[in-house]
Amino acid sequence: METVSLIDLFGIWVSIFLTLAIFSFLYDDNPIYKLAENLFLGISIGIGTIEIYYGVFKPNLIDHLADLRWQSFIPLGLLFLLMMKITKKYSYFARLPIAFIVAAFAGVKLTGEANANLMTPIAESMPDLQASWAQYGFWSWENDGAGVFSDLVLVLGLSACLLHFYFSAKPNRAMSGVSKVGITVLMLSFGASFGYTVMGRISLAIGRFQELLGLDKTEAQWMLEGSEEPLSTMTNVSIVRWMTVVTAVVIILIIARWKRQQNNEPTDQAG
Amino acid sequence: MIRQLIRFQNMDRRWIFLGMALAIVVPLLAPINFPFKIDERVEAIYEKIESLEAGDTVFISADFDPASRPELEPFYRANLHHFFAKDVKVVIGSLWPFAPPMVNPWLEEIAADHGKVDGEDFVFLGFKDGKELAIKLIADDVVKAFPKDLKERDTATLPIMEGKRQLQDFALMMSVSAGFPGTREYVLQVQGQYNLDMASATTAVSAPDYVPYYKSNQLFGLSGGMPGSAQYEKLVYDKYGNDSGLINARPIATQALNVLNMGHLFIVLLILMGNVAFFLTRNIEEA
Amino acid sequence: MVGEFFIPHHQYRAMTNEFLEWGLILSAGAFLLGLVNLVQVNLPKVQRRDTDWQYKAIMLVALVVTLVIGFAGGTARQQPGYSYKWFFDYVFVPLNATMFALLAFYIASAAFRAFRARNLEATVLLSAAILVMIARVPIGESIPVVGDYLPQLMNWIMDVPNTAARRAIFIGAALGAIATGLRVILGLERSHLGGGES
Repeated sequence: METVSLIDLFGIWVSIFLTLAIFSFLYDDNPIYKLAENLFLGISIGIGTIEIYYGVFKPNLIDHLADLRWQSFIPLGLLFLLMMKITKKYSYFARLPIAFIVAAFAGVKLTGEANANLMTPIAESMPDLQASWAQYGFWSWENDGAGVFSDLVLVLGLSACLLHFYFSAKPNRAMSGVSKVGITVLMLSFGASFGYTVMGRISLAIGRFQELLGLDKTEAQWMLEGSEEPLSTMTNVSIVRWMTVVTAVVIILIIARWKRQQNNEPTDQAG
Repeated sequence: MIRQLIRFQNMDRRWIFLGMALAIVVPLLAPINFPFKIDERVEAIYEKIESLEAGDTVFISADFDPASRPELEPFYRANLHHFFAKDVKVVIGSLWPFAPPMVNPWLEEIAADHGKVDGEDFVFLGFKDGKELAIKLIADDVVKAFPKDLKERDTATLPIMEGKRQLQDFALMMSVSAGFPGTREYVLQVQGQYNLDMASATTAVSAPDYVPYYKSNQLFGLSGGMPGSAQYEKLVYDKYGNDSGLINARPIATQALNVLNMGHLFIVLLILMGNVAFFLTRNIEEA
Repeated sequence: MVGEFFIPHHQYRAMTNEFLEWGLILSAGAFLLGLVNLVQVNLPKVQRRDTDWQYKAIMLVALVVTLVIGFAGGTARQQPGYSYKWFFDYVFVPLNATMFALLAFYIASAAFRAFRARNLEATVLLSAAILVMIARVPIGESIPVVGDYLPQLMNWIMDVPNTAARRAIFIGAALGAIATGLRVILGLERSHLGGGES
């Protein structure tokens, strides 16, 4: 037995309704989807604002100001200037804080990129063929193909890709050959990326269907908070599935009715 | 024949959508389980955590939202079980505004399963905006970045934070990341400069991007998407499954992984069918 | 910030850390600007009863309700029993997750319609994608004989050609970021300040 409050039970239904409302877009754009979409936008920005207030403004600014920490009055001033962006007349004051943010990001990115994305990949791509031969030989199936062959493919592939990116090079036969190798290496990588992207997207859909089918719950009977009796003879999983089926039918009927109305009014282009 | 093939190529995409939905729903309702191997990148995470001592403290950056929950929730949960089962202390922060309301309840639930004390054995520091700037500040001065934790306690006075000022002071760092800002930004801003022991659990979409970081030892381990989560889950639950703290843990990624089989086969089938139809019509049209 | 990389003195660090904290606050301020802008754009549409004004009204109401219950909940807002937590779990989570789950269906449709082996490059891309899709799931490993080699082959693609291609992209992007960063710092790049005049 698992206790559940009425408000949570209602929440579970709301969740199912909204999931199906978004999925209804797969059939066609429709008012139920639009409702869910705009609800999503409003709530996202609301939650974002709340979390930013309690995550940044309160601990890193307001609390410091309450302690009268003098340094914190400077970002307060900058923040005030940034907010001038809203006004048309004084928006140029916002340039100072914007310049500050952009310069800070530029400074931080500069060292980070140079260190981790420039120096390290160059250093790590230089193969130690002797050591590789001693450890793996030419090609080792047990170690995912590690060996001298892969070391060479890595360094030559990387060089070919870089030369392919070198736009100002004069086009000639040698360059176009190298470019072809570079493109092939890039295509292998993008193909792998596509495979992984498919996996990621399907995983998300699986997550939604797990919830619609009640598979995110451990099977048990539901008991309403404050009551001694089980809510139904069905388990929670079966109740969720019934909720899903009934809600889906209702959404389909609403969309069908809306479609019929649309067809009856051919001049109305809404939706 | 050609006309039919052309019609097949241009069929209403809603049939494809229906097929996709069935490829997910059917195996969910009638699962067929296949065994799977453990990837060395995932095993590296497990082994490293196994080598930690009781009382060590780690930092987790939980940077994901409900959209990437199916891929990363199983890892995050198994990871917490793993740390707590080994009596390792856990400090968690987040760079994503939608993460704390989702991941903090899981932390509290799992910590309660293991009988851990808030502020001593674990703490959730909350969300911090500022992307790379926040990462840089967290790396150099965790307490300055998070003066208060999620429950508004002074971070500096919490027992778990004793002697912990910089990310370097932690035994290791886990980045559970669904994109920007996340693993890549930590590698860029922190790992190289501070020589931090760092691993990443990421979504399938980001995994190919982070493989080079694993290959150059900037990450000591990498778990990508649902398969990575399922493999890590298996390693942890196989070893610690009988401990009292893990009674409530269900291998959720493993269930999903078997559905992924059908999903992938369906997409491969679509690609093949699309190409066969394309070549048949092209050859006939050319003739 | 750049100097911090080379000057390991604690007082210099304290100063850059102070700047970083200001950066956090201003970056959060940029989000607030977005919020105000959203209201500025949509409120007049509702007032004028423009097309689809009802949906804009729903969005604004949802925004206000979330803000009210968020501030009312305060520090405890994420605890069970608070409206904010209920809203997050039962309204925001399904909406956010399902929006992205839609992509699974569109990627299936794209796989059928657009993924054609028209030339050598496309064939290479297609083969790598199919190999990854089969080898990355348990069913691929279970194919007799071939199944033993598929995961290795896929890992090889990830470890070697993928690493080569990504490193090339990283190096290219890093050079670009460094050049842009220097231009910003030296004042050669001023487009972010807006205003139109040079």
